[in-house]
Amino acid sequence: MPSRLEITLKPDLFDAEGAAICRKANDYFGLGVESVRTVSILTFDSELTADRLEAIRTEIFTNPVTQVSSYEPLVIDFDWVLWVGYRPGVRDNPGSTAEEAVQDLLGIRLKPDEAIYTSKRYCLKGGNLSFDDADRIARELLANDIIQEWRVFSKDDWDTKTGVGVIIPKVRLDHKPTVTVIPIDSDKTLMSVSKERGLALNPNDVPTIRAYFLREDVLAQRRTLGISDPTDVELEYISQARSDHCNHNTFKGLFHYTDLSTQETQVVDNLFETCIEAPTLAIQKQKPWVISVLWDNAGIGRFNDDYYYVITGETHNSPSNMEAYGGAITGIVGVYRDPMGTGRGSKLVMGMYGYCVGPRDYQGELRPHLHPKRLLDGVIEGVRDGGNKSGIPTPYGQVWFHEGYLGKCLVFVTAIGLIPSQIKGEPAEEKRTSPGDLIVMCGGRVGKDGIHGVTAASESFSPHTPAGHVQIGDPYTQKKMHDFLLEARDQGLIAFITDNGGGGLSSSVGESARFSNGCVVELEKVPLKYEGLDQWEIWVSESQERMTVAIKPEDWAHFEALSKKHAVESTVIGRYTDSGRLNITYDGETCASVDMDFMASQFPQWTFEAEWTPPEMRELLEPVLTDPDDASRLLLDILARPNICSKEWIIRQYDHEVQGTSVIKPLVGKGRDVNSDAAVIRPVLDSVKGLATSQALLPTYSQIDTYHMSACTIDEAVRRVIAVGGDPERIGGVDNFCWPNIQYDPIDNPDGKYKAAQLVRANWALRDVCTAYGVPLLSGKDSMYVDGYLKGRHGETQKVSALPTLQFSCSSVISDVTRCVTMDCKFAGDLVYVLGETRNELGASEYYEHFGHVGLNVPELRPGPSMKLYGALSRAIEEELVASCHGIYRGGLGVHLALVAMGGGLGMDIDLSMVPRSDAEHDRIILYSESPGRFIVTVAPEHRSSFESCFDALPHACVGTVSSGPDLVINGLKGKHIIDIPVSELKGAWKRPFGGLI
Amino acid sequence: MCSANPKSEIRNPKSQGDVHVLVLTGYGLNCDFETAYAFELAGAVSSRVHINSLISGEHYLKDYDILVFDGGFSWGDDHGAGVIEAVRFGSSLGGALLEFIDEGKLVLGICNGFQALVNLGLLPGFDGDYKRREVALTFNDCGNFRDDWVTLQGNPDTPCVFTKGATKIELPIRHGEGKFHASPEVITRLVDNGQVVLQYALPDGGAAQGEFPYNPNGSVHDIAGICDSTGRVFGLMPHPEAFNHWTNHPDWTRMKEAMKRRGQTTHPGLTAGVQILKNGVDYIKNKH
Repeated sequence: MPSRLEITLKPDLFDAEGAAICRKANDYFGLGVESVRTVSILTFDSELTADRLEAIRTEIFTNPVTQVSSYEPLVIDFDWVLWVGYRPGVRDNPGSTAEEAVQDLLGIRLKPDEAIYTSKRYCLKGGNLSFDDADRIARELLANDIIQEWRVFSKDDWDTKTGVGVIIPKVRLDHKPTVTVIPIDSDKTLMSVSKERGLALNPNDVPTIRAYFLREDVLAQRRTLGISDPTDVELEYISQARSDHCNHNTFKGLFHYTDLSTQETQVVDNLFETCIEAPTLAIQKQKPWVISVLWDNAGIGRFNDDYYYVITGETHNSPSNMEAYGGAITGIVGVYRDPMGTGRGSKLVMGMYGYCVGPRDYQGELRPHLHPKRLLDGVIEGVRDGGNKSGIPTPYGQVWFHEGYLGKCLVFVTAIGLIPSQIKGEPAEEKRTSPGDLIVMCGGRVGKDGIHGVTAASESFSPHTPAGHVQIGDPYTQKKMHDFLLEARDQGLIAFITDNGGGGLSSSVGESARFSNGCVVELEKVPLKYEGLDQWEIWVSESQERMTVAIKPEDWAHFEALSKKHAVESTVIGRYTDSGRLNITYDGETCASVDMDFMASQFPQWTFEAEWTPPEMRELLEPVLTDPDDASRLLLDILARPNICSKEWIIRQYDHEVQGTSVIKPLVGKGRDVNSDAAVIRPVLDSVKGLATSQALLPTYSQIDTYHMSACTIDEAVRRVIAVGGDPERIGGVDNFCWPNIQYDPIDNPDGKYKAAQLVRANWALRDVCTAYGVPLLSGKDSMYVDGYLKGRHGETQKVSALPTLQFSCSSVISDVTRCVTMDCKFAGDLVYVLGETRNELGASEYYEHFGHVGLNVPELRPGPSMKLYGALSRAIEEELVASCHGIYRGGLGVHLALVAMGGGLGMDIDLSMVPRSDAEHDRIILYSESPGRFIVTVAPEHRSSFESCFDALPHACVGTVSSGPDLVINGLKGKHIIDIPVSELKGAWKRPFGGLI
Repeated sequence: MCSANPKSEIRNPKSQGDVHVLVLTGYGLNCDFETAYAFELAGAVSSRVHINSLISGEHYLKDYDILVFDGGFSWGDDHGAGVIEAVRFGSSLGGALLEFIDEGKLVLGICNGFQALVNLGLLPGFDGDYKRREVALTFNDCGNFRDDWVTLQGNPDTPCVFTKGATKIELPIRHGEGKFHASPEVITRLVDNGQVVLQYALPDGGAAQGEFPYNPNGSVHDIAGICDSTGRVFGLMPHPEAFNHWTNHPDWTRMKEAMKRRGQTTHPGLTAGVQILKNGVDYIKNKH
């Protein structure tokens, strides 16, 4: 009979978890919670003797110094008790490690139907709390009803004998796996089945699919296997392979683009080929350091003679929007499998993040699924646990607040790996499957997780149906698999490797089988979390922490032994063949047989109407504003704006030093608290070579023109790596597009044509700037449909679309990290230079936003001159002439001068009349224009001439000095002090908004 | 060199004269590469060995001079940091571990490894009892995982062989469960025996006296590291291996610029982090 163990901290010890819950409950909901004590519960669904239970209690689960525990309910004073546990089938990581420990200590094995489950009990004190308050804390703070269930007990409900009761969330599916045959007598029937089953087949694809299954030769072939009409397994496979996620139909689509100001129309055929692939392949011809792009799970660049680096970026928006913590941890742990599945497999060396969310203090009338404050907290914690527990440093990230992200938040995650250039004398970037190779699935087991994404989330839950859709990434299981696969790789055992992400086995096996041109999968061999999954579910399940690997039969014994040593499960689930067919059987019965070339066959190209309305025609105008009387106050206010101010509380939750490679940290300067332009790591510890990485986002510019949004975003990411000492010749890029739906619909998406034109223009800028800068796109992803439907005050539903958003990431190799520079000014008396031209470009700036305007003059990049300047700057850094270097980004010169001063903890005397500019004849324009291509550099006086000689004929000027005084003093064009503020006050204002958070 | 090189080869630890360091790997440990590397800089021969390779007898503790429980999230830290690692190690290698210590060899626990050592009872090891749990590392008072550099004050009167001459040093901390806790009696006893090796301090070296963020986790008596009564078993929350190169230091660009202006060339010798490991390596060398 099952037993329930309760564990809690001794009463005299501070309960940090409880205190955090108490703080959030009062902060989020304005409740009067006085205290919270947390109790961990372990439920043993196993026959264990009293002695064994006592041994487990004392030897493993109770720390005699800090904890007390009991198999009876612990007596803790409360006004309300909340119990929270996982729903059946949700990954319970602590439960499975508890099983490991118990089996270790007792030297036993749990029986297949035995398990250990974890849950929590929270004891709330707070005289005024009502049932509804307590229930709200459970529902909105502690539990998420997609993956967890909870119970609320008042003092009166509480039975001191039974406590919360013994709850066993065991999955029981009394269901015999069955293959269903799908009728295809008409397009209409197939389409309706697609709707019922949530296949999301594109209507245009349906005739092609039917035609295939009705072909005489196909039918004849299928009869020999005992099948005729397509099975659910086959249609699930086809719908996965054809999904926009896997196939990028939007970027490969046909756009009819019309400029409404000229009525000129042009056909844009395939954005991926014309704006991403073609420029990158051209650059690869010029730059031999570009090793492998556009086909594998991530791109590969040369690091040094012995190593390559591997980089990719992903988004995990919808799941994070539903369940912030689970979605975000699954996102980061998931993107880490991409480098693991690139080439013969690489070691993870770094991660980055980007979050776009609604205002943290949002108090409007729309009701998003999760309030931005709670959503952001969950996302931050998910990426924290995913990255930290993987042992991968997270030294760079960014956050952008905007109401457009209330509909759907964006969670960008970027992963960087390192791989030896040769594995046992063979090129590490090359891999293939061959007939006869074993198909091996490594890592986690398969459940109903993530099947059909969102459709599963709306299913109702019975006590024993598994919670689908939202997954909880498990960095511990994946870390074991990572270590194992690297050892297997180095012994030359891996012929091919790829990860199981979207589409699960359907994608990983389907794609890897293209190399050998066929495979046979025996689905009954796939290890399951619980019985009762249908064949199609096993095939498309997105259960996490799994890799698909091709192993030569002669290597299997060795591979299996290594797998055992690392406590990782590896299972042969089939073989690769050259039959030209993807065949799937279950207990010997064929349940799928599809020609390998069918997926490559001519599916109709998606088409879009794109209509561009230039900003002038949208009646965007420059606002009528004068210079402020109190310019100091204005600067302080802008430093405190959410998209400018300090977010140290997020950065310090992320381990940015594990692996011992940290060179430039996310926070730098005298106080170690001002943001660095980029991160630098030394991934090969016995080399001084480094890797600089950065990211940028400027979605607000999309309000005026996505071409310039895209151009300025790329330029910012490039400038960021240049600023720390990156090599302009060795910069690689990663593009992550997040766009609202661009398919026009008169009712549901009336501005679809405009959004389609915005996407085309953003891609044109991507093509133009990457070509001009010589930046290859090592990797990239697109996530369309970032729209949300939110309930409003009157119960109506409102559609909220995110700003068209591009996150651009850059990487650059640095030959000697000891020449890197940071952004903080170093010494009084140093000269302050501004490089690059300041123009009248306040459109969509932080400054206009502060006054509630958008404006018209969006910042425009001039790539040619900019790149010349960057080359000169990087020579100056290489020659160690630069004491500090910082790009001028969001907020403009005023904000970034303040940051350089804060970094050094020193004052500055600045004269705006010296700033290189054209058509910028007001103090406000010089201080807040966001013209791209600019830097602030401080230089020791003795280097003045050699520094300036680097910039002949390039826009540069000494605009002042670092002072020994405490103030940032800025003289305006009229010659008088317009700003005079102690640097400590600037920093105070910049830190205040989120300063209380840890 | 055993660099960050992802190759996981284990060199044969038989050559005489060398100091052989065993760095544990597997089950979510994640500081093994840089710990092995930093020990090589300290003059040792490092091997990264999977816990299961020790249990299976593929490798033997007795072949090594220094055993390192390195940092990470062993078993995901799901039931208290280092708890399950201690169960696995104690239940299958407890005897070999005690012999290892009896032979006068060294055991070092860093961060998650320190947590494992206290859960094994190897620390504080009062009266040579290496099985009694008397101190604990629990959740930070700040309620969150924290990455920061801290100033540490070394104890001149400690028997700890790793901190010879260490006075004021700076090292990174990265943990969510680093709050040192023990009863007042135990604390007094640790202090009296000189077993308190490192304490969190203010930037000027003065006592942090619990002040956040100088004492980043609320540790009682600002304790960041302790040793056993022999000084040969040492555990600490900060990460010496993560200060393996002068560019790891948060102020390195500022220090470099300052030295340049004084006409000095910037290449400090061994970092404070590697020096701690080197003290251990030298102790074994002198014993040989």
